[in-house]
Amino acid sequence: MKIGMSHGAGGEVMQNLISDIILKNIKNKRVNGGVGLDDLDDGASIPLGDLEIVLSTDGHTVDPLFFPGGDIGKLSIAGTVNDIAVMGAKPLAITNGMVIREGFPADDLETIVKSMDAVCQETGVSIITGDTKVMEQGKLDEMIITTTGIGVVNKGEIKRDSSLKVGDKIILSGSVGDHGMALMSYREGFGFDTDLQSDVAPIWEIVEKALAIGGVTSMKDPTRGGLANALNEIANKSGVGLLVEEDKIPLKEPVIAVSEMLGIDPYEVANEGKVIIGVEKELADETLSAIRKTRYGAQAQIIGEVTEDNHVILETSLGGKRILEAPIADPVPRVC
Amino acid sequence: MVKARILVEGIVQGVGFRPTVYRLAKKSNLPGYVRNLGNIVEIVLEGNTPAIEKFVKNLKSRAPPISKISSLKVEWLDNEESYLDFEIRESSSDFSGSSVIPSDVATCAACLEELHQENNRRYHYPFTACADCGPRFTVIQSVPYDRERTSMETFPLCPSCEKEYRDVENRRYHAEATCCSECGPSVFLYKEQKLEVDNPVKKAAQLLDKGKILAIKGIGGTHLVCNVNQEDVVIEMRKRLGRFNQPFACMSPDLKTVQTFAQVSKLEQKALESRRRPIVVLKKSENYDFAPSVAPDLHNIGIMLAYSGLHHLLFSHSSQPAYIMTSANLPGEPMLIHNHEIMENLEGVADYFLLHDREIINRCDDSVVRFRGDDMAFIRRSRGYAPEPYDLSSLTQDLTVLALGPEIDVTFSLLKQGRCYLSQHIGDTTKYATYLYLQEAIEYLLDITKTETVDMVACDLHPQFFTTQLAEKLSEKFSCPVLPVQHHHAHAAALSVDVNESEMICIAADGVGYGADGSAWGGEILYTNEDSYQRLGSLMPQKMAGGDLCTRYPARMLYSMLENQYSEADLYELMVNNYKEYFPRGKPEIDILKQQLDREFNVGITSSTGRVLDAISTSLHICGERTYEGECAMKLESVAFYGEEKFQIPFEIKKDQGRYVLDTSVLLKGVMDKIQAGEMKKNIAFAAQKSLSHGLAALAIKSADKKGLEVIGGSGGVFYNEAISLAIKNYVETRGYKFVQHQSSCAGDGSVSLGQAAIAAYKYGK
Ligand SMILES: [Fe+3]
Ligand SMILES: [Mg+2]
Ligand SMILES: [Zn+2]
Ligand SMILES: [Zn+2]
Repeated sequence: MKIGMSHGAGGEVMQNLISDIILKNIKNKRVNGGVGLDDLDDGASIPLGDLEIVLSTDGHTVDPLFFPGGDIGKLSIAGTVNDIAVMGAKPLAITNGMVIREGFPADDLETIVKSMDAVCQETGVSIITGDTKVMEQGKLDEMIITTTGIGVVNKGEIKRDSSLKVGDKIILSGSVGDHGMALMSYREGFGFDTDLQSDVAPIWEIVEKALAIGGVTSMKDPTRGGLANALNEIANKSGVGLLVEEDKIPLKEPVIAVSEMLGIDPYEVANEGKVIIGVEKELADETLSAIRKTRYGAQAQIIGEVTEDNHVILETSLGGKRILEAPIADPVPRVC
Repeated sequence: MVKARILVEGIVQGVGFRPTVYRLAKKSNLPGYVRNLGNIVEIVLEGNTPAIEKFVKNLKSRAPPISKISSLKVEWLDNEESYLDFEIRESSSDFSGSSVIPSDVATCAACLEELHQENNRRYHYPFTACADCGPRFTVIQSVPYDRERTSMETFPLCPSCEKEYRDVENRRYHAEATCCSECGPSVFLYKEQKLEVDNPVKKAAQLLDKGKILAIKGIGGTHLVCNVNQEDVVIEMRKRLGRFNQPFACMSPDLKTVQTFAQVSKLEQKALESRRRPIVVLKKSENYDFAPSVAPDLHNIGIMLAYSGLHHLLFSHSSQPAYIMTSANLPGEPMLIHNHEIMENLEGVADYFLLHDREIINRCDDSVVRFRGDDMAFIRRSRGYAPEPYDLSSLTQDLTVLALGPEIDVTFSLLKQGRCYLSQHIGDTTKYATYLYLQEAIEYLLDITKTETVDMVACDLHPQFFTTQLAEKLSEKFSCPVLPVQHHHAHAAALSVDVNESEMICIAADGVGYGADGSAWGGEILYTNEDSYQRLGSLMPQKMAGGDLCTRYPARMLYSMLENQYSEADLYELMVNNYKEYFPRGKPEIDILKQQLDREFNVGITSSTGRVLDAISTSLHICGERTYEGECAMKLESVAFYGEEKFQIPFEIKKDQGRYVLDTSVLLKGVMDKIQAGEMKKNIAFAAQKSLSHGLAALAIKSADKKGLEVIGGSGGVFYNEAISLAIKNYVETRGYKFVQHQSSCAGDGSVSLGQAAIAAYKYGK
């Protein structure tokens, strides 16, 4: 087998690669009984005394490096901070490994670093160590930024992506499909006369406000594979089903337009500034209003609830119910 | 004196089989007994050998009308037990054979007479039934088929009915669904609440005549009903259902009435009047005058005759030539069968509800058939047919296979002991409710056939189909392997078993099926030989920009198919000037489509025939958006129906990657040229269908010659198109080949599960 693009697409194909080649060949995968590699959660943890250290690492490549609504710098901080945040931990610090192509414009690099710094300031995290490498022309396309985030949480208060309980409500912090659609149409040069913008942003504030209410059971950020993938993952790992009201999922008009012209499902493309939060039913409304007061959570919605079933079901006011699947790889026509 | 034990399998329960045996044994003076044994019938006789042999011969020729003997085994016994008389014994459930419960049967003439007889106990009683007619499959909970295992169980027989039921000489002897107004189910009329009316059926007929929309619970499901004359009513019903264009099936009281608005051939008449009462797609006659929205822009209409007492009564209170009778369901979801569901889900859709208190155990949609010339095919094989098995005993005796079908037009099959039980219509499994229904229906069929385990689960090759995922689950449950089957190979195999030809060239033409190369197939010339196939030809692969979007908006196909036929600028101008309205977002969408094609962004590949017909339909401004399956192609057929052969549109066959390919871009350009030349739309439509048909037939002939074969078959939904089906048949037969197509199975996806099961049997059955 050779590695194909679908192996990195966040779907089932990638899951198989991870379990068959990576997990199988690593022996030490957990420290002090914390969250480990096998858990395939957004991050890992190391229990130490009364605290747990939460870690997460992410290699960022994006084409193009600068896109409407952000750039690779912003993405590489927000992406990692968000993975720490959805574990319920306050992000503290970032490490920054950069691999840069020979001939890369220094001005661009400066812009990227500044934009990393801006997100760090907004979230109150520091970049405390880093590494810089340069590779020859032709060996690397532009650059890769690998960031590792470190956060802390009181022992026992960590939030997993596998602990939804039947009856919980599901909150989605805002519109979906923005990042994927913006990037795609910008990259392919479709030149929509719209204000399609990536949603890349740190979501710690949303998470912090939600945690303060006390009813959060589980969290996940719907990045690669989009909402469809994240909902399926969080449901499967929790051993539950979800019933989602499709009309409640926020979608921006330009995202709908692009998806209906290109035939791309907005639920299957990446988001970089959103979070899915499972909340105890009784505290759902309170949590929602707290989230709506935050900078990136104004459009948040309760989109559904946790069921005993084992599928993610979308319900529309007109079309009845359908199963929302996790994307596998490239879509194949199926309508006769 | 000898003794014989006769085991009869087939449709032998619930069809008046035991009384027939009883009468015959009495007449032949043979003591012994008969009883239902699980799902088969056991007869034990004592007498001399010639008498017993004569009995067996007579039994075969005098079996009751709706029974079907699939196997009859005689064992000679030498036990000492002696019998004084012949008797019918209690059923026993401890034997499992390969028999199956019968399908539902339309009210018979004798019952109908009683229904209209004023002094009869069953005068105007809608649930009148006997051993020769009435519900079966839809009311049976489990086997053996006795009243206590049906939904008639809650209606204990009154003394008069009991007497008939116990009387071997009566036509209601052990007729499990028999009842009368004293003891049987009743009909009620509801608005929000139950209405106190003397005669709910009469009242319902009056409401229909006044233009009200009713939900009527029937035998195997619920219909939404309104009259066919008031356009505003029909439009209102379409609006409420969200079904804006799909033709509605209608019901008429009798053949004479149907002949006032439709053309009915002898064969169509036979189908209409058969006890199975399918919907028959008929050509509208010159006198057809229903409201335009009943079957919009089509030259034909689906008609069935009244098949239950309730229907007959409705018409007896009305002078309407027909009612629209369409399945009451949310789009793609199973038909509603429970009273509370009907009331809840159709609130705001139906004005009134005509319900009854007998439970429907098995949902069973109306069957639909269509004739192409003299050949009949099923569009949907369900009520009146399901779960009657196909005989695959020549392929396998002991392999048990569960085949799950495709994804949208799903039926599933259970192959057991050489019999392939094809389920009722299940529907669109992308809808969650239908997906659950599929699983329920599977369990039920396993149960009534007493199947505890299966050796193999067959499914489609498409990795994302819900049925494929279910196959994985079931294979774990039964610890058995999964056999994925290519969609068109399954089509060809279904045809093979239907027409009993194991080796042939099959033209498999439909909308889409997952191809072995990962592209979307649908215009394939396959060589099939039992378990294997080879793709010898196809329509030219075309680009599908945006995947399934192209199916809904065929103008996208029109663009991509014509890319190499015009200069870039000319094609762009042509699309913007003439076809802009078929893109929901107008010109900007055409710009994006062009770029999408240039950059091959989310562009699939298909050799589908359906997409070509759609593109032709759109090019002629016949249909630019598909709102129901097959819409654009069906409307093209209807326009072509009125056309004449004034000119030809050329086709071109090439060789590509070792297979014959029909260049559909050249064909479509031919259409464009005729439009340019100002030819009439109907004549272009006529010529285009013919050209495509001849192209497919020519591909098949080349392939047949390559293999030295003489049999060419046609399968797939495209073969519902009468003009295409006849043109291919003609072309092939005039050149000396034999043409075969579906007779007793679906040409479309309804028989894919049958094909899957057949391939499993070919591969592993021996
Ligand atoms: Fe098909
Ligand atoms: Mg994550
Ligand atoms: Zn009868
Ligand atoms: Zn009675």
